[in-house]
Amino acid sequence: MSSFPHRWANLRSGIVTLYCSLAALLLFASTAAHAIPVYARQTGSACADCHAGAYGGGGNGPNLTPYGMRFKLNGYTDTDGNGGKIPLAAQLIETHTAPARGESTMNLTEADLYLAGRLTDQVGGYVKVEADHVGHNTYNTKLRNVDLRFVARELKLGGKDLTLGVSVNNSPSFDDPIAVLPAATNLGPPGGQGPTGTFLKQSSANAPAYRVIGATVYGLYDSDWYGEVGTYNSLPTSTQERLGYSISGDPGTLSDTGYFRFAYMKDLKRQFFSVGVVGLTTRRQLQRSGPADKLTDLGYDLTYQFLGNRENIVQLSYVNILEKRRYGSTPPDPGTPGFTALPRGALHDETLSVTYTFRQSYGLQLAHLESNGTRDAVRFGPYGNPDTTANLLSVFWAPFGKDDSVTAMANLKIAATWFRFTRFNGATNNIFGAAPGVSTTRPADLNAFLVSASLAF
Amino acid sequence: MTKLPLGLSAAALVLGWALAALPAHATDAAAGSDVFKSECAECHSNREGRNKKGPSLFGIVGRKAATLPDYQYSDALRGRSDWVWTPEKLRSYLSQPANQANPGTKMKYDGLTDAKDLDDLISYLGTLH
Repeated sequence: MSSFPHRWANLRSGIVTLYCSLAALLLFASTAAHAIPVYARQTGSACADCHAGAYGGGGNGPNLTPYGMRFKLNGYTDTDGNGGKIPLAAQLIETHTAPARGESTMNLTEADLYLAGRLTDQVGGYVKVEADHVGHNTYNTKLRNVDLRFVARELKLGGKDLTLGVSVNNSPSFDDPIAVLPAATNLGPPGGQGPTGTFLKQSSANAPAYRVIGATVYGLYDSDWYGEVGTYNSLPTSTQERLGYSISGDPGTLSDTGYFRFAYMKDLKRQFFSVGVVGLTTRRQLQRSGPADKLTDLGYDLTYQFLGNRENIVQLSYVNILEKRRYGSTPPDPGTPGFTALPRGALHDETLSVTYTFRQSYGLQLAHLESNGTRDAVRFGPYGNPDTTANLLSVFWAPFGKDDSVTAMANLKIAATWFRFTRFNGATNNIFGAAPGVSTTRPADLNAFLVSASLAF
Repeated sequence: MTKLPLGLSAAALVLGWALAALPAHATDAAAGSDVFKSECAECHSNREGRNKKGPSLFGIVGRKAATLPDYQYSDALRGRSDWVWTPEKLRSYLSQPANQANPGTKMKYDGLTDAKDLDDLISYLGTLH
């Protein structure tokens, strides 16, 4: 074990830069909206009908209202009855980033194009193409979320309403109606910041998001009971590259992959609550060949919303995902002869989020994120401890997007987000295991403060 | 038995008649606005000429059913050419599931069972003109 501090000390400087860059990138991702004016134009509704915040969430997530959940469940096909709406929208995000370490920057960090909405009464979708600023006035264009749906409504089972649908998508749990699972919220670190994070967590290293394609069948029974099952396969690395993603994040070859989601959701008009479970199991060959790791994610989530007359909205969510891993190989510890990695392990992600929205224009979100895992000196350097703890605080102002707004054609959000780490690699100081006498890195050195202006039209 | 003075008896009679004439609770359009926001506003706008998934409710009280020119009503509602959205009709319609009140309607609504909320809502709808 003693070999790790020395090896990490050599890499420390580069790693700090890398992690700080990752933190900023993930925060940019977390500020991206899921909502788009094309849906408002299609339905005649305001953005604030489907989202607590009038910009499509406003917080770091879509913050869907029960009405927004139904719109998603109905395959994005609801309409005001008038056709002729162009299913295109765009978004620009300008961001000032002030990392705890490094220089502050101000850039047009993201430009997005959305192809979304209703194709027929039963077919609709959401496709986002995103151009991310990667420095030196260069942008990397990538295909982000895809969620294409076929839906059959007005069905009856035992005298109760039944909706059945199929979703073809590229990110497990993005299509979830309650939209608090990791892929739907984009809450980002800490999983993606360290060597760990459950497979379901979008920000984890080698996560499936955007790099897989799958299909799920879902149903909503009696307005309250939601069920979904499906499977996914990873895209070839050459396809991932063409879609804008580097091979280093490849989730590997996936086989025997199954996904399920069940939830009870109750819309009481002035309040809403839900209880759900989610699971994903797969055999993953991270190097695309050789022994496979068996990953099994099992999680549950609880949500509550106070909606009232929409003047004061409070949304609470708690997501807890446990991942069991049975590794296909147990590599030796290069620094300690005779020691090998453990054959099994567990990872655990928890996210607690509270969002308060006033008049659907002013919002405050607090989130606490924890990742824990089985100690493994070989797999998790420098201390063999993957535990990470972080917090997010975000405030926003979204002046448009409501029924009485001057325009339904465009929307605007000004947001400030502060992301802070209190534990990283299981440590609260010297998180990269710097050798004695060398300056150390604290978790707070990964913190970042961002101010962004988002414009959608 | 003690007889009440005539004046007092008359006053009690008038007061009793007045109280009996009042509804069980006073309607409150301001409270109805809140009911509208939580029960109706996702599908219906209160603004003139703005339709959502459902038609605008501006001027709904007293309007004949299915008569907004720029909204595509269901056949079920277009067939109710004799319906006028009077307060009584609205009370009857909204107090039960929409597909029970008018089978075949596009409207998805389970009904508003709280009598005060319903009265307040109808009172508020009456202000939209």
